[in-house]
Formats: sequence, C-alpha cells, structure tokens
Amino acid sequence: MNRFNPEFEEALARRRFIQAAAGGTVIMALGSFYVLSDDLTREAKAQTRSDGRPRLPPGQRVIEALKPMGGEPGDPSPGNYRLRVHGEVEAPFELGFAELLALPQTEQALDVHCVTTWSVLGAKWQGVRVADLAERAKLKKSARYVIFEAAHGYTSNVALRDALKPTVMVAHRLNGSPLVRAHGAPVRAVLPEFYFWKSAKWLTGIRFSDHDEPGYWETRGYSNHADPWKEERYA
Amino acid sequence: MPILGKKSDMPDGAADPRVRAERRRKLNWRPWLRALHRDIGYFAVGLTVVYAASGLAVNHLKDWDPNFKQVNRTHQLGLPLPADDDAAAKSALAALNVREAPREVYRASDTQLDLVFDQRTFHVDTKSGVVHEEGQAARPLLRVANWLHLNRGKKAWTYVADFYAVFLLFLAFSGLFMIPGRKGLLGRGAIVALLGAAVPVVYVLLSGGP
Repeated sequence: MNRFNPEFEEALARRRFIQAAAGGTVIMALGSFYVLSDDLTREAKAQTRSDGRPRLPPGQRVIEALKPMGGEPGDPSPGNYRLRVHGEVEAPFELGFAELLALPQTEQALDVHCVTTWSVLGAKWQGVRVADLAERAKLKKSARYVIFEAAHGYTSNVALRDALKPTVMVAHRLNGSPLVRAHGAPVRAVLPEFYFWKSAKWLTGIRFSDHDEPGYWETRGYSNHADPWKEERYA
Repeated sequence: MPILGKKSDMPDGAADPRVRAERRRKLNWRPWLRALHRDIGYFAVGLTVVYAASGLAVNHLKDWDPNFKQVNRTHQLGLPLPADDDAAAKSALAALNVREAPREVYRASDTQLDLVFDQRTFHVDTKSGVVHEEGQAARPLLRVANWLHLNRGKKAWTYVADFYAVFLLFLAFSGLFMIPGRKGLLGRGAIVALLGAAVPVVYVLLSGGP
C-alpha cells in the first residue's frame, strides 16, 4: 500500500479524530461519574432520617453552602423591615425586625433541598417558628393554607399543617451570621420538608387562607406540593 | 419530423386573460411572504437576543447566579469601637476606607451593628471587631434580560411577549414556504422539519414525560 496516498492520509486523520473524540467522551463520562459520586453525597445517601426516609432525597447531590438562586431582591434594610401576619386570623399584626428578634427564637440544624438538585445538610438556621406567629395571630377555623408573601409579589403556598411543623420558621440568621442579601436578607421563610423555592426569600408577609393559592413557581409549571422525597419537581 | 424554429400552431394558454391572472395570482404570493418573513425577522432580532441570552443564563441557575455577582468578604477592625452607634459606624467605615455614607445604621443586637448601603451591607461584630461584608452587584444586561424573560416586570410586557410568540410562529411557518424546492414540501424540507419536530417527541417518550 502506498503510505503517501492522500486518501490513506485522510482516512488516517479521520481515524485519529474518531479516536480522540471517543477518548474525550470516555474522560468526560468518567469525570461526570466522579463528580456525581462525591463523598458528601455518598455519606448522606447512607443515612436515614428519624422518620425512616433517606436523609438525601432522590436525585439530589450534597454541596457545602447555599447557592444564590436569583429572584428579584427585596429591601435588605432591617430598619425598614415589616412582616405582616394576616388573613384568616382573629388578631392580625405586623412586626419590625427588632420585634421579630425579641420573640422566642429557635435555632435548628436543617437540611434544605433545591429543585435544581443540590442539597445543603445541617445548616444552622435561627429565627421564629411560624407556629408561634400563628398562635399569636389566633387562627380562625377556616384557615387551611399558608401563603408566604415576599418582595415584588413573589409567593409560595403550603397546607396549614405543613406550615405549623416545628421545623418551619422565618429565619434571620444562617450558620451564626446574619442572613445575606443573596439568601433573602433580612428575613426569609425556611420550610425544609419542601423544595427550597417554597422557602420564600425577602419575606414580607404570612397570609393564612381558607383556600389554596398556587404561588409564583407553582403557576409556572412547578409542583404545587413539592415533596423532595417524591421528586415532585414539576406539575 | 420536427422543424427547428417553427412556432407551434397550438393556442397559447397565456393569451387567455383568465389563465394569465391565475398565473399571476399563483406566482405573486411568495415574494410577499419572503418580504414579510424578512421584515418580521429584522423586527424580532432584538427580542430574540433578549430571550436567547436570558434562556441560556437561567437554564444554568444551579451553576451560577445569572442576575448578580456576589460579594462576600471578611474584615477585622481594631478594638475597641466607640460605644455610640453612629460613632462606631464612622470609625468602622474609616478603617475600611469606605467613603460612601450608609443609608442605614442599625443596631441588630448587643454585639451586631449593620451598616446598610444600596449594594452591600457590613455586619459589624462590635465585640470581636469582625466585619462581614456582603452584597450583590447586578450583571447589567443579563439582569434586565432575565427580568423581561421571566415576565417579572409590568403586565404590559405580557402583550409584547405574546406578539413576539406570534411572530415566531409566523417566522417558523413562513420559512417552510419561502423557497420552493423541486419536490415542494415533500422533499428535504419535510425531512428536516420532521426531524426538528421529532426532538421534543422523542425526548418526552424517552424521559417518560411530565
């Protein structure tokens, strides 16, 4: 065979290209596998919650710190802050930031799970339980749902029984530091049993309602219930 | 035996005014379609850039913040700080070389003084002197594009977005008929159009759908 044949050279170049492409694909696939099987995720997958469910919901990967996920920021000023608790209640009220800090505080290590597949485990959140705010507002019997209201009209919705769980709070500190703007300063909701979009940032109100009102993402194709363990990501 | 150059005796169909009008009618719509496609295409360029750039940006929300660059820094101040809040704020800002005046100085707790600016906040621990500076700076064009794309603006934008969607539909369908192929729509155009339509169908089938 003539080794200087242009057709042979072309075939050789094509073969080299295919070999390089196949090699690159294998390396990328192995790299993805390496990324997907990181230690934090592996450890979390081996753990079980007290309710028997796995600590890490399906399809999630553990990262070390919350990622800023966007949204239209609200006013970060604690001096201007007002939280309105209203709706199907006997005694609606408003709180400033200092008044919120003066209420009984809870600090809990909670896992949060973003619908975009990352989870942060055991972050320490400090704030006031929604159940305590509901008790102060004196819920009417007609209250069935809770609508978390935030800056620029953002809302998220959950059933009342879910909002009154002891882990649900309005938080103003994370891991011992004041909440930063990217994560909803000065105050955000934290509902660890749901995908994280339910935990409205830049929280301005908690409204108790006699009917369900799908919120910002819930009306844009995301699940109304948003249970991470059932992978209820989309409607 | 054919005679070269001899005109046929058959009557010329084009001589019939009805046939000519029919031919004109058949022939004239395509240039109009092309002109409309071209002009609507020009008109849609700006909106397409907004929606495409923003689409790419928000598709990868888990990898980055498409709206803001984050600022997170820690500083250490010399102690003690003045007991008065305003004096402590002034002293802290001087030490941090910040000349801008804060829009708010807020005593959040016995040990925490917040100095709030438009784009950032300094959380000063007045006991340890540790300052946590945090804030976010908007990505100038992308933030606006995302704001429009996610329809977070005024309701009027919904009408613009609706018109744009109708324009895109027109561009898609007029594109099918702009240049007549040898086999019309049944040739290469049909194959490529079907391939494109098959992408979402195959994806839904393989992924199991909603």
